[in-house]
Amino acid sequence: MSRHRVKALSYDDDFEDDYDSADPDEQERLEECTKEVLGQLQAGEPSVTASREEVQEALWHYYNDIQKSVDYLRGKKAKTVGKKQATSKTTTPKATAVPAHSVIPAFHPRSSDHFSAAEFFRDSPWLNVPLHRKTDILIEPLYPRCRLLGGAPPSDGKMSKLAALAAARKKKEGEKKELEKTKLLGAENNASQAATTERRNSTLTLLERLSVNGKEQRGSEKADTFLRKEALFTSRGNRGKIVIEKHNEVLGNCPKVEETCRPGQGEERTSKPVDLRALPSTFARTIVGSAMSHMHVELSHLSGRCFDVMEIYGQGLTEPFDFADSSPDDIVLKAQSSAKGLKSKQPTPKQAGNKGTQADLASGMKSLAVEEPVNIKRKNLDVLTEYRKSPWKNAANFVVIGHVDAGKSTLMGRLLADLNAVDNRTIEKYRREAEKIGKGSFALAWVLDQSSEERARGVTIDIATNKFETERTRFTILDAPGHRDFVPNMIAGTSQADFAVLVIDASTGNFESGLKGQTKEHALLCRSMGVQKVVVAVNKMDTVQWSKDRFNEIEQQTSSFLTAAGFLPKNISFVPCSGIQGDNVVRPSNDPNASWYPGRSLIEELETSEPFTHSLEKPLRLTIGDVFRGGAQNPLSISGRICAGNLQTGDQILIMPSGAKAIVKNLEVDGEPNDWAVAGQNVVLNLADIDPIHLHSGDVICIPTSPIQNTKAFTTKVLAFDHLMPMQVDIHHGRLHVPGRISRLVAVLDKGTGAVAKKRPKIISPGTVARIVVEMEKPVPLEAPARIVLRAAGGTIAAGLLE
Amino acid sequence: MTDRRRINGPPCGTRPPVFAPATGKAAESPKRTRRSNELRKIFLKTGLIPSAAGSAYLEIEPARPLLTKPLIARSSALKLTCTVHGPKPLPRSTPFSPNLLITTHVKYAPFAARRRRGYIRDASERDLGVHLETAIRGAIIAERWPKSALEVTVNVLEAEDDRWWGNVSGSYDASWGMMNVLAGCITATSAAIADARIDCLDLVVGGVAALVREEASQKTEGHAVNGSPILVLDPDPSEHRSIVSTCVIAYMPGRDEITELWLKGDALEVALSEDDKRSGHEALIDGAVDTARRLHSVLTAAVVESGERLFSAMTDGTWTKDDNGNVEMKI
Repeated sequence: MSRHRVKALSYDDDFEDDYDSADPDEQERLEECTKEVLGQLQAGEPSVTASREEVQEALWHYYNDIQKSVDYLRGKKAKTVGKKQATSKTTTPKATAVPAHSVIPAFHPRSSDHFSAAEFFRDSPWLNVPLHRKTDILIEPLYPRCRLLGGAPPSDGKMSKLAALAAARKKKEGEKKELEKTKLLGAENNASQAATTERRNSTLTLLERLSVNGKEQRGSEKADTFLRKEALFTSRGNRGKIVIEKHNEVLGNCPKVEETCRPGQGEERTSKPVDLRALPSTFARTIVGSAMSHMHVELSHLSGRCFDVMEIYGQGLTEPFDFADSSPDDIVLKAQSSAKGLKSKQPTPKQAGNKGTQADLASGMKSLAVEEPVNIKRKNLDVLTEYRKSPWKNAANFVVIGHVDAGKSTLMGRLLADLNAVDNRTIEKYRREAEKIGKGSFALAWVLDQSSEERARGVTIDIATNKFETERTRFTILDAPGHRDFVPNMIAGTSQADFAVLVIDASTGNFESGLKGQTKEHALLCRSMGVQKVVVAVNKMDTVQWSKDRFNEIEQQTSSFLTAAGFLPKNISFVPCSGIQGDNVVRPSNDPNASWYPGRSLIEELETSEPFTHSLEKPLRLTIGDVFRGGAQNPLSISGRICAGNLQTGDQILIMPSGAKAIVKNLEVDGEPNDWAVAGQNVVLNLADIDPIHLHSGDVICIPTSPIQNTKAFTTKVLAFDHLMPMQVDIHHGRLHVPGRISRLVAVLDKGTGAVAKKRPKIISPGTVARIVVEMEKPVPLEAPARIVLRAAGGTIAAGLLE
Repeated sequence: MTDRRRINGPPCGTRPPVFAPATGKAAESPKRTRRSNELRKIFLKTGLIPSAAGSAYLEIEPARPLLTKPLIARSSALKLTCTVHGPKPLPRSTPFSPNLLITTHVKYAPFAARRRRGYIRDASERDLGVHLETAIRGAIIAERWPKSALEVTVNVLEAEDDRWWGNVSGSYDASWGMMNVLAGCITATSAAIADARIDCLDLVVGGVAALVREEASQKTEGHAVNGSPILVLDPDPSEHRSIVSTCVIAYMPGRDEITELWLKGDALEVALSEDDKRSGHEALIDGAVDTARRLHSVLTAAVVESGERLFSAMTDGTWTKDDNGNVEMKI
């Protein structure tokens, strides 16, 4: 690789390679040329003699160009010896100019002459060198090495094919020139003149060709046909030639291309460089676009067959892509980042300047919202007319109250079991499970006490609701917990009740403790919550062998207490019964000891209750009892009892105290879907268009047109059960309970007339009625006729009515 | 990492199927009609992409015009664009560099060859990038831009196939098409770098040569001994049934230096024709250098055109001098 010579380069003649052993035919040719040169030198006008070595040296440098060698040698011999020697490298400062890395003595030919500088300058005076002995000192320009980077060492081996070929070519050209000269001069007769064609004007070249590739003789004919074909090609491609040639003029240093790779193949080619510049294809022209307009647009060889799409559809319409604009990817990325909310971080000036697009964006974002539009049709019913037309039975809620372990849950379980509201298999299952944990007597209570904690502890903790129906009335049981720790739950239950069933344990000792305990508290709470009718079920009569005396004693004590609490005697009724055995609950007792009681059973007593009227026309008020997930279709449901007003599907409702609005998607009354509901009914509302964080049990639902107001302080008329003074209390209202403070004791009122008995009391003693002001820590929805209970330190201290 | 921004096409080829004619005549594979030392013409143009500092478009059309059945015997072509961004300052996080840092990306368009490419660069594309970087690194005078970076991106729009699609894959198969692509990349990048007015020692030209073994060599190349491979310049892989070896070089003609040399295939044991005593490697490299030297004229012409464009822009006043104020043009 490193050994080939590059004739095309302008400075390539200055390079020298060492080739010691040439090919035999090379040697032969050299010999031939040497003879020729020597002959010419002697025959020339100033006859010159030169040594054989000198001649070969010169031939070597002129690539066997005889004429040049002759000229050179003649000039050399004519000159003085000193002149010739002055160019020698030992004396010129050229060596210093050669950079250190340039290890190849690139410029000067290999010289066999020895000379010494001292001898050379011996006869010349100091600082007065005769003119003829002066020389132009050529500082050799800094030529790059003609090698590979870190290429092969320069002094190895023989002349490469490439170099040999180049030499041969050079010689051939020289001979051609010489031939012409001789032709012009007519001085010499050369055998090669016989050749007529321009291409074969030299037998030497032909011979040479043959000698270079002996086997090519057959191939040369083929090469001729090749050439002819090429001529055809070029004449066909002549149209673009003008441009090409003009271009070549511009290209000053366009390198002369030499055919080197296959000897004998490119031989016939002229040394004119082949223009390799193609014209743009159709595709390229679409890319280059108008940039090519100044160029001579020439149809490429492809265009003849390919139609130009741009021409067909009009060039003006299609423009080359403007790469200066943002790319499609950038547009997408920008849109993505703006969708992620990064827009504020990277505000684009275009958007900031254009408010119209911003508005578009906002509306676009709105339309992107995931929420599906709530489209619930409101039927615009007249609920009251519907209610009157409807064949509803009387509905009654009753709360079951009493001291802990009075048997409230068991009694209600018995009631439900005997009325077949619960099937026998369930009862049997409960019985087996209860016996397994050694609490066989609790089996019936488990009908209502569903949670595991309630069953394990054997007490009711939260209000349990259940429904049953008689021929005339549908009842809702609110089974209140009897334990003193869960009085707030009992208050919540009582607030939904129309009347109460007070269960009293008839067994010895338990009745007495109950009367001091939650029997009394519950009764008082019931009364103060507005319950007017109470059915007293004297339970566990079987434990006292249905003793009539015991019953009478209980009846007497209880009725006196209840009357004192404010119940009218006609609203109090007593039923002896046994929940665990079922005597006198649904069926009359078959115990012979109970034959003294001819009266009604518990269920019959319940049915005597008159229908209760509710204020249907008033604005809607509903205290949320529970918030739950009603299923996949109803992701948010609330349950509760409507205190006042009416409601229908599609109504918009307002939840206080949060103030959020919702839409009633559909509703259920007593477990059955219905389009409307009125006060007094227990409903389940399936809501839409609201976040569940706005809903808590105890919140009040109202209609937006007449909302309930949130208050932080209120004046109330209370009945004190304990000493009242300015103190921290818990305010209970249904499910709602909030901490607060009695801020002011306004007055003590007369129990009968309600007139002010004493203003600004320091303390309010139990059993008196007083007007007080209560402040709460946070606003709660409360309005005037609400009944509230004040509790402190785990006990009820007062109950009252908002003023 | 998958590309989620686009709907990717199928991974297989996209050209329509060509069914063999009913007459039973098999599809005719393309044959090299050029002589072994004849090069295909090249279209090279600079300054296509105004947002880039320098850019070039290179195109090699098949030497043969399309025949009557264009779908069947189509030689592959090469089309690629090259963009050069820079020299630009390095980001702050990068450690100090006294030289210009060069990064090269070579990416095939998914539709570039018969085998469909993904949008993410695969191993061969990264390989080409490394080769390209080596090729241009030797030419750029990198110490003139400390703390700067140069980004070279080559987009191959149409690549030469590794073989004619009608041939079944044989033992001689290698990714021969890559070699031609690399040569094109080198030439185009050199033009783009010159278009970006980045100081170079010389214009680097890519050249390819191959040793091919032709079955029908007696007919077309009368001189070649049957069985011994012949040297062809600028080979089109689809035109040769069996390629023994291919060589790509990046060559600086002005200095006679090679900055990148890539040989593929086994050329060591290969004996050329009787009169040619060179080893296979030598012949390949000589051929590639020769190719490169001839293509140099095309490259020079493109650079001259780039310079003329700059000059006209300067005279129009649309182009201002850069910060250093040197608008030296020496062609």
